[in-house]
Amino acid sequence: MCGWLRGITLPAIVMSLLWISSFAAEAAAQTEGLEAGRPVSGLHTGAHGVLLLTDAKGQAVQEEGEEDALGPDPWADETESFDTIPDPLEPMNRAFFEFNDKMYFYVLKPLGTGYKMVVPEVGRICIRNFFTNLIMPIRAISCLLQGKFEGFGIELVRCMVNTTAGFLGFQDVAREALRFQIQDEDLGQVFAFYGMGPGCYLNLPFLGPSSLRDTAGWVGGLYLNPLDYMVDDFWPNVGFRTFDTLNKVSMRIGEYESIKKAALDPYVAMRDAYGQYRLNQTEK
Amino acid sequence: MIYSFLRRGVFTLLILLAAGSVCAAGEPTELIRKATDGVIAILNDPSLKGPDKTEEKVRKIREAVDKRFAWEEISKRTLARYWKERTPAERAEFIKLFGKLLERTYLDKVKEGYSGEKVLYVDEKVEGRYGRVRVMIVTKQNTEIPVEYRMLKKGDNWLIYDISIEGVSLVNNYRKQFSHILSRSSYSELLERLRAKVEGTETID
Repeated sequence: MCGWLRGITLPAIVMSLLWISSFAAEAAAQTEGLEAGRPVSGLHTGAHGVLLLTDAKGQAVQEEGEEDALGPDPWADETESFDTIPDPLEPMNRAFFEFNDKMYFYVLKPLGTGYKMVVPEVGRICIRNFFTNLIMPIRAISCLLQGKFEGFGIELVRCMVNTTAGFLGFQDVAREALRFQIQDEDLGQVFAFYGMGPGCYLNLPFLGPSSLRDTAGWVGGLYLNPLDYMVDDFWPNVGFRTFDTLNKVSMRIGEYESIKKAALDPYVAMRDAYGQYRLNQTEK
Repeated sequence: MIYSFLRRGVFTLLILLAAGSVCAAGEPTELIRKATDGVIAILNDPSLKGPDKTEEKVRKIREAVDKRFAWEEISKRTLARYWKERTPAERAEFIKLFGKLLERTYLDKVKEGYSGEKVLYVDEKVEGRYGRVRVMIVTKQNTEIPVEYRMLKKGDNWLIYDISIEGVSLVNNYRKQFSHILSRSSYSELLERLRAKVEGTETID
């Protein structure tokens, strides 16, 4: 039993982590001076070349902003004055960002638009529900590892109800009838729970925005994804994954365009949005 | 994973447009509620349906939304430490341009119409002159999006100075972009890019 994705990603990730860790520490030191008032936290290579991820929050530095008559802003995020997520690998990430951008406009968007015309929305929601139900183990185990026992229970019940009464997960009856919400947990959040910072930002080809920590979580998730055990052969597996992606894309056509249109630097906008989004998720 | 957080962008726009109002002062939540209902009413108004009425609809919404926002506060917060370096004239120009960019972005969304999102009011907190209203947007596809309005009391009026959607603050996001550009090039370059955005001369794909 060896999923192709696990087969190729694990060695690749281990190699790149080793490479990145040596490179990123160096690059981080260089970037440090570039933007005044922006401390770069993130990667330090430990004594044995082991990767240590520092918690970015621990290094928050307050900017000496003018505090006028208003007094301090009680809703201000802790991350106000520095980058949400360090990005020592920006040139590489920008290259992959461009790649994903082209992929979206030349491949995913045309395919997704065609697919949207053929399959009605109800059908697409059912398919989305099916794939969401399928990866229940990732969410359940992630709840468990964070001690969120209620969430773990909810995920188990959700899966049992949806797989049976919800026709193999095509209907999300657990939410509609029982008000059992999806527990939005993944292994990246588990690592964060145990104190690991995001490391550095990564924009990966096909996968999009991520971080060192969340990529590790994603790889771990491959071991918890039933799809990779049930459909083991290369092409069928790729087929299912493509189908899942296409289905998701078909429901979000126009969203990426909006973001791009509103942003002065779409790459930075995405990076920051990802950083803020994950920070918010891991704080819950 | 790939596009899982992209939808936020769309709702930024939705919320921006949902924040308009014609009423004056009041408790923050009531204000947001009235504003949201007002914009939804404009969007649902049968007398404003049809492509020839788009202009009028857009004008009405712009009217309602504009006065709900603390535009200067938003600009000041996005430029952060670079704000101090600007002359009053430059500040005024920046407020106008940046306001236009945000406006253009949400008005684009208005043209597509209202697609049945529900707004649930979660809670409200007031600390001195600062207020925070949290709502939950439920889409037609049953996705829930938490949204937080951050407001400031000016006189006896509450104005929005930031919107945070799924934990992503609009002001923070723009601040990161601006400081990225400003730390690598100049203020005039930033203005140049803002203008290009506002005029919509660039192609996105």
